[in-house]
Amino acid sequence: MSGLCREVITLQLGHYSNFVGTHWWNLQDASLSYDPETPQGEIQSDVVFREGQTLGGHVTYTPRLIAMDLKGSLRTLRQEGSLYDAGKDTSAVTWEGSLMMHKESPPAKNSFLEDLDKLDKGDILAEADFSSSSQPQCSAAGSVSVDTVNSRLAQVQKGYRLEGSVKVWSDFLRIHLHPRTISVIHQYNHDGEAHRLEAFGQGEALLQGSVLEELEDKLHFFVEECDYLQGFQVLCDLADGFAGLGSKVTEMLQDTYGGRGILTWGLAPVSHRNSTPMKDLYHLLNCTLGTVHLTNHSSFFCPLTLRGGLGRRPSSPTAFPYLNYDPSLWYHCSSVLALALDALTVPYRLRNNSVPMWQVADTLAVSGRKVVAAYGAVPFPMMHGSSLPDALSACTDALPWKPLSACSEPGDGRCYGQWAMLKGFEGQRLISSLAPGIKPPTPLHSLHSGEDVLASYIRSFYPTAPLALQMVSTPSKLTPPFPQIFSQSLDAQGFLQSQAPPPGLPASAVSSLPVLTSLQSGPALGTWLSELHRGASTFDIRRVAPSFLSQGPEMGDYQEALEQLRLLARCYRDDSGGT
Amino acid sequence: MAAVKALNPKAEVARAQAALAVNISAARGLQDVLRSNLGPKGTMKMLVSGAGDIKLTKDGNVLLHEMQIQHPTASLIAKVATAQDDITGDGTTSNVLIIGELLKQADLYVSEGLHPRIIAEGFEAAKDKALAVLEEVKVTREMDRETLINVARTSLRTKVHTELADLLTEAVVDAVLAIAKPNEPIDLYMVEIMEMKHKTDCDTQLIRGLVLDHGARHPDMKKRVEDAYVLTCNVSLEYEKTEVNSGFFYKSAEEREKLVAAERKFIEDRVQKIIALKNKVCPNGEKGFVVINQKGIDPFSLDALAKEGIVALRRAKRRNMERLTLACGGIAMNSVDDLTLECLGHAGLVYEHTLGEEKYTFIEKCGNPRSVTLLVKGPNKHTLTQIKDAVRDGLRAVKNAIEDGSVVSGAGAFEVAVADALVKHKPNVKGRAQLGVQAFADALLVIPKVLAQNSGYDPQETLLKLQTEYKESGQLVGVDLSTGEPMVAGEAGVWDNYSVKKQLLHSCTVIASNILLVDEIMRAGMSSLRG
Repeated sequence: MSGLCREVITLQLGHYSNFVGTHWWNLQDASLSYDPETPQGEIQSDVVFREGQTLGGHVTYTPRLIAMDLKGSLRTLRQEGSLYDAGKDTSAVTWEGSLMMHKESPPAKNSFLEDLDKLDKGDILAEADFSSSSQPQCSAAGSVSVDTVNSRLAQVQKGYRLEGSVKVWSDFLRIHLHPRTISVIHQYNHDGEAHRLEAFGQGEALLQGSVLEELEDKLHFFVEECDYLQGFQVLCDLADGFAGLGSKVTEMLQDTYGGRGILTWGLAPVSHRNSTPMKDLYHLLNCTLGTVHLTNHSSFFCPLTLRGGLGRRPSSPTAFPYLNYDPSLWYHCSSVLALALDALTVPYRLRNNSVPMWQVADTLAVSGRKVVAAYGAVPFPMMHGSSLPDALSACTDALPWKPLSACSEPGDGRCYGQWAMLKGFEGQRLISSLAPGIKPPTPLHSLHSGEDVLASYIRSFYPTAPLALQMVSTPSKLTPPFPQIFSQSLDAQGFLQSQAPPPGLPASAVSSLPVLTSLQSGPALGTWLSELHRGASTFDIRRVAPSFLSQGPEMGDYQEALEQLRLLARCYRDDSGGT
Repeated sequence: MAAVKALNPKAEVARAQAALAVNISAARGLQDVLRSNLGPKGTMKMLVSGAGDIKLTKDGNVLLHEMQIQHPTASLIAKVATAQDDITGDGTTSNVLIIGELLKQADLYVSEGLHPRIIAEGFEAAKDKALAVLEEVKVTREMDRETLINVARTSLRTKVHTELADLLTEAVVDAVLAIAKPNEPIDLYMVEIMEMKHKTDCDTQLIRGLVLDHGARHPDMKKRVEDAYVLTCNVSLEYEKTEVNSGFFYKSAEEREKLVAAERKFIEDRVQKIIALKNKVCPNGEKGFVVINQKGIDPFSLDALAKEGIVALRRAKRRNMERLTLACGGIAMNSVDDLTLECLGHAGLVYEHTLGEEKYTFIEKCGNPRSVTLLVKGPNKHTLTQIKDAVRDGLRAVKNAIEDGSVVSGAGAFEVAVADALVKHKPNVKGRAQLGVQAFADALLVIPKVLAQNSGYDPQETLLKLQTEYKESGQLVGVDLSTGEPMVAGEAGVWDNYSVKKQLLHSCTVIASNILLVDEIMRAGMSSLRG
């Protein structure tokens, strides 16, 4: 079974999902190796990437991805991409009458995209950037094919500082996409005042006619070539109308490809630009309905957000001890979520001993508890040169991870199931290397495998919960344009430095990062769902937001969805003795 | 001060004349964008996005969808116009032009103090009369191929260049005639439109059968099969997840292997049943056998089928399953338990065509195909899109003509006739509403005027010639766009859809009246949340 490549198709629905997705694909791309000599990595990239061929016969390697967004959200990116562009002149207009040209002035490209264009054309980046790397260039002359965009970008290690210039996700998209990947919804505008996709019902109504047909065609293209399709990972915006679209899309997937895994990640940004109380209310309603419907149609549903909560007045965004990110910037928040997602999706992407999606889902989503919560330690705090037991015993009081689903941990050790992933301990020891005679400082130091160490550590917090573990030594590789949002105390490999670098010296860029994540199903989610239910049911929607239901759903359906949410919350009630 | 100001100081309000001015300017703005599109001599528009995506079109409907319209009134008109396209498949540009012109004419009277309500009443009266005229002048006849070709050509020549239009005309008419059944509504869904980035636009053709955009996934399967049985089915031929696989139900590795093997056997049995059928129906192997499955087929099953010389396609689109049985005959099977010869369809030729990474499977030479494919070819994406849009409209035009059972003279002839009838009808209308009727008559004339203008003739001069000719001959005369002289539209073969004209009269009147009667525009709170 392990030799098979179980393909996964990714769907990104909505602008924020595409932000997270773009970071995620950049991370995947960074860890690709085009050199046949290097040993194959632990992650099988063929699961999410496909090999193709252009009309010109060039081999391509592009994501199995369908990304949906609204009109006007692409800016510099062409819907078709430029990979399959035949390069012929497009002026062959066969019309004997007059021709009127309406040309939009091309949006300014940021410094990163400009460099990317240069690399595509085969230019070498400006000499100044290469001050230190001119000699590896010469030595690599024999194997030009290995010298990829990645390696060159890695060599440049230029601080792009895109914080100010990233407006849409294509502004930091490093990879080429397949022409069938991007689907633009023309009915709604990405920007501006009129025709915004703001209500759940609008999104639900979208999936018909040409939009549905286009999606079916795109899905068919990617699905048909898969020999052992294991399922779909759906990234869907929760706060706007895409929640409705996502619920219809997952419903369609469930109907058409029953038996496959459908893992849905509901994404919500920390904040929206120019929000008003009314819009906040809409976001809350969308999140609520989205949670109910996406859960219904997925193998499991996991909300992912750095917001303090999905309610209208959330507490402050999740803070990580070694990150200084700006919660108002989508570019920053989405990068943190992408890092976590890179670890969370590890189980079904492994080359050996991979666990198919449906098994991940079956393990976590038992007896109707299909909502799971994610937690992540981004980065996992580990001293450079120390061992896993050392790192874990430094945090015996509290788990190192923070909530990624706005669902705080109960702390009472009750949990129905847990799946932990540690990624990126490369170069560190998994077990303590104490000499035999010496008494280990903690029980963790006496265990003989990394899995045992981590399992035993997590069991000290969750003594009874079933636990599955996955450990991957390669870290998430960070290359530009990943934002440098890291604290000074991390070294280039993302490990803690024993002493802080002398002030004044520029901190070296972090180029990889260890991450520990966990997916949990526990009573805390019951509380979380109840709060969501309370948030939506405290007011009369007909009075407060009458136009929300103007495009459907019907009042009855809305109330039924709330009722479903209430029942869903009850599934998580811990009846084990009532203690 | 408007009352709403007291409640919401931020509210923006425009009243009476100002409100009308805002609305009319929006309608005229939209009209200005689209007026150069009208007719076969209109301007082709090339839209280039900032990133370099190209859209090439002359179709008002496509243009309205592409534009990011921010003005609420303009957006309202655009919605009505595109609704026109949804209902009838044509007439978007005319719709926008007439609405704009109705408002322009109305504005003349309103500025002289006439109440908009009176004009709206006049519009209503005029519309009823116009519909009566439509019933009079429509030509009811048997929809033979020639008439249909005329209708389709009239529509298509306004979308693409002449050579291609004539090619598409034949294709769409034959496509509709192939799928049409007497006394049943035509289901255009049975015409598959498949695009292929290949050769030039004039290689677009009608395939009397189906083209699927995927191929067999096994290197040993034949690329070309003649005289083949076609089995259409919806049966999983791949090893899928089941309960036993999902983790907790087995105790040891061997037990798991055993269950997996049993599971595998289950799928193999299905494959064997298909192979058995193949051996039964073509014992000597002189006939081909093609399996088209809606569900997946995994490499093991493909291998087994390939060994028996069966060509198998997996994951056919759901919408193609129905078309397949209509094209080749047979029944779509949901199980392989009782396969018989009757379940099979037949195709004279099945072959594969590979373009880069894309494969196409042609299923041709079917006995009596009730489903056909229009294979759109072109060198680049925007050409393909343009042809696809045109083909859709062409198909709709033919369908409308068959279902209406009647056609109306085009080239502006109908509008001239209605305008003339309305002027004669005016005295029968009471009071000042006459002015509304006059406005309506004048507004309709925008169609022949713009047609002439787009072809480079003087609009007034051409219109006068038309009106004189119409009065003298009593025949329905339209503009001959190659000379600028009047011509009898019917004889020249310029026919429009009856249903398009009818819909046009209805929707233009309603929307123009509605906009006229707006006397206050308020903007308060979330404008964007109106659906």
